[in-house]
Amino acid sequence: MSVVIKSNKYGITLVLDRETPFSELLTQVGEKFRASARFFKGAQMVLGFEGRVLDQDEQMQVIRAIEENSGPEILCVMEQDALKESFMRAALEERKAVQASSDGRFYKGTLRSGQVLESETSIIILGDVNPGATVVSKGNVVVLGSLKGIVQAGAAGNDSTFVVALHMEPMQIRIADSIARSGDGRKEKAPSEPMIAYTEDGNIYMEPLSKEAINDIRI
Amino acid sequence: MSEVIVITSGKGGVGKTTTTANVGTGLAKLGQKVVMIDTDIGLRNLDVVMGLENRIVYNLVDVVEGNCRIKQALIKDKRYQNLYLLPSAQTRDKTAVSPEQMIKLIDELREEFDYILLDCPAGIEQGFKNAIAAADRALIVTTPEVSAIRDADRIIGLLEANEIRRSNLIVNRIRMDMVESGNMMSMDDVVEILAIDLIGAVPDDESIVISTNQGDPCVGDSSLAGQAYMNICHRVMGEEVPFLDLKTKTGFFGKLKKLFG
Repeated sequence: MSVVIKSNKYGITLVLDRETPFSELLTQVGEKFRASARFFKGAQMVLGFEGRVLDQDEQMQVIRAIEENSGPEILCVMEQDALKESFMRAALEERKAVQASSDGRFYKGTLRSGQVLESETSIIILGDVNPGATVVSKGNVVVLGSLKGIVQAGAAGNDSTFVVALHMEPMQIRIADSIARSGDGRKEKAPSEPMIAYTEDGNIYMEPLSKEAINDIRI
Repeated sequence: MSEVIVITSGKGGVGKTTTTANVGTGLAKLGQKVVMIDTDIGLRNLDVVMGLENRIVYNLVDVVEGNCRIKQALIKDKRYQNLYLLPSAQTRDKTAVSPEQMIKLIDELREEFDYILLDCPAGIEQGFKNAIAAADRALIVTTPEVSAIRDADRIIGLLEANEIRRSNLIVNRIRMDMVESGNMMSMDDVVEILAIDLIGAVPDDESIVISTNQGDPCVGDSSLAGQAYMNICHRVMGEEVPFLDLKTKTGFFGKLKKLFG
């Protein structure tokens, strides 16, 4: 098989055999699309090439072959390098997101009002997060002290991240795209035991850091 | 017709933020549509005094920099539907905003609100310039202390230089017992020095401390300070209200003492 149709994020990629003569490839492309004409009919997509470098003229011939066989309308041709780059980036982002929640770093000290601590990975704070201070992490946040400020876990959108604090009285907790704020009650008793906050279906829940809660953590 | 009022003092700690919170809440109580803007970038307080700190997602700097729309940054008060707060940023400084940007922002808000209150930072630098840039009138807060009055005098001069001629004075934290014993300047003394119209006098009242700490302005309640603030709101709206008698009621024994003393 010297022509294979693959889908990519934006449309389709034609994998072309390097050895086969171009004219033969062209007829094969025609046949392929004729066979799946009903599937592609009326679709609009971006076309990419793989396996073989085509010059502009050859690209135009391939596009004509596709469109003549009542295939999809080709909006534009994706540069081979751009295609590769986007794949690379996607793979990289995925890797990073995984790393962010399983890798971590430490911070020692008290975060005061107006200070922002940002981290690409999970973060463990040995100290307090005061009201008005902000912690932003792409992974998890663990505060070995009082959490009274604003905390954002999973800043890149990872909603399986969590926030743990010995004294949990945050102004706001944000996990991925969810947001929760403290109540307006005047003297709400802060929980005296360590707490964990996590998301489920876009809601943020808080519960004591029990064995069961720890078992439910996915890292 | 919307009115933009800056609350300023020069000196810190005389009660600008408390006054903004109480006047803003009071005007809303009187049915006006009000927005309070905290222009103290880097040292925000108004959200805390209003008890709205936990609702902040976007702030003034986000609006100015185009990170969000104004509507997204406005926080609706938890008591009054027609009262809004635009909080300031905590992690930036005064240079994050320019006077031109403030004018543009406030011009947009003018269409929506009856009153726009600007809580001004202490000092006369960039933050002050930002706060007064778009103001139509000013409420100048001072306490009956020489240092606060000196700063207020300087501020009035700067406001006049910036074409803001409608300035009214609020004398805050008056203690009538000390005035009577001659250890504190009276309202009249302060007005005589500063030579602008008095719009209100607020007694030093513990209910202010309590309400500020609870994030619940005391305007309109039965405390003396609450009544004083409510009167200020009426006067801001152009009504004539007689000044309160701030004398704390002397008890039975006090009266006896006076009789025989």
